[in-house]
Amino acid sequence: MLEIAAAAFIALGTLFFVAGTVGLLRFPDIFCRLHALTKADGLGLALIAVGVALLAGTAGAVFRIALVWFFVAVASATCGHLIARYARHGVRHD
Amino acid sequence: MRATTPLRLTASARVHSLTLADGQVSPPPDAAQVVPAIRPDNTPKRLHIVRRCLLSMLVLSVLWGALTDWRADALVFGIPAVVLGAAIAFLFPHPPHWRLSLRGALVFALWFAVQSVRGAVDVALRAFAPAMGLRPCFRPYPLTLPQGAPRVMFINTITLLPGTLSAEVMGDTLIVHLLDARTDLAPALADLDARIRALFALPHPTEHSI
Repeated sequence: MLEIAAAAFIALGTLFFVAGTVGLLRFPDIFCRLHALTKADGLGLALIAVGVALLAGTAGAVFRIALVWFFVAVASATCGHLIARYARHGVRHD
Repeated sequence: MRATTPLRLTASARVHSLTLADGQVSPPPDAAQVVPAIRPDNTPKRLHIVRRCLLSMLVLSVLWGALTDWRADALVFGIPAVVLGAAIAFLFPHPPHWRLSLRGALVFALWFAVQSVRGAVDVALRAFAPAMGLRPCFRPYPLTLPQGAPRVMFINTITLLPGTLSAEVMGDTLIVHLLDARTDLAPALADLDARIRALFALPHPTEHSI
């Protein structure tokens, strides 16, 4: 039962990663692509993390998975902002 | 505001000095009882530094311990890493005083989870939809939250809300990128602003004290 729930979470997370990648390829400019990457991939990772945490044996492993999610979430929001800022300045000087 | 029992995380003399500078009259010795919301800090500066040092070392030690499964032989690298990390934390500018409301944090975490799902579903549907429905634009939004953790939290959370991305900070103005120009930006961000104030146990802008 737990395995099925975990597999469902991981499959759903993968679907969001695919959606993020499709957005990256289809969206017209860098800013719209950042929306796809930061939001869809962020939730994709969260869902995969929940699925893996369900299968993890120890509390330490669950904590480490939560740490991975936390640091990736903070880094993706910060990097998205930095890339957008750089892109705006690049457009202005060109 | 007081009912939420704010939990103090980092200590700084900044709030204290601001309170002293702003008051026309020198504050009475029992100022803490007169104005409980501001709570001037009477602890000496050296104690703040020690407390900050201990707190960053504690956080780093827990992180190291969790990552290495509390293995004793890993401490050969862990102890220098923790000391170095705590030292690097001091190279950054002194963070302004902030505290966290526990109830605010719980409410915020739930709301944040729902919003990030909404944001991801919205962008995923657009990615797969033939027409995508994009009408991208930039829009300015005035930042009213205090500098430091509350403002960083606000800017980073915007990126996870449906259809918005914080693109650039120019002084006290945030440039937000919208996927769809028809979105009503101001109410959503005012709501987020209020939620972050509740999270950090900050007063509402109308009662302005920071």
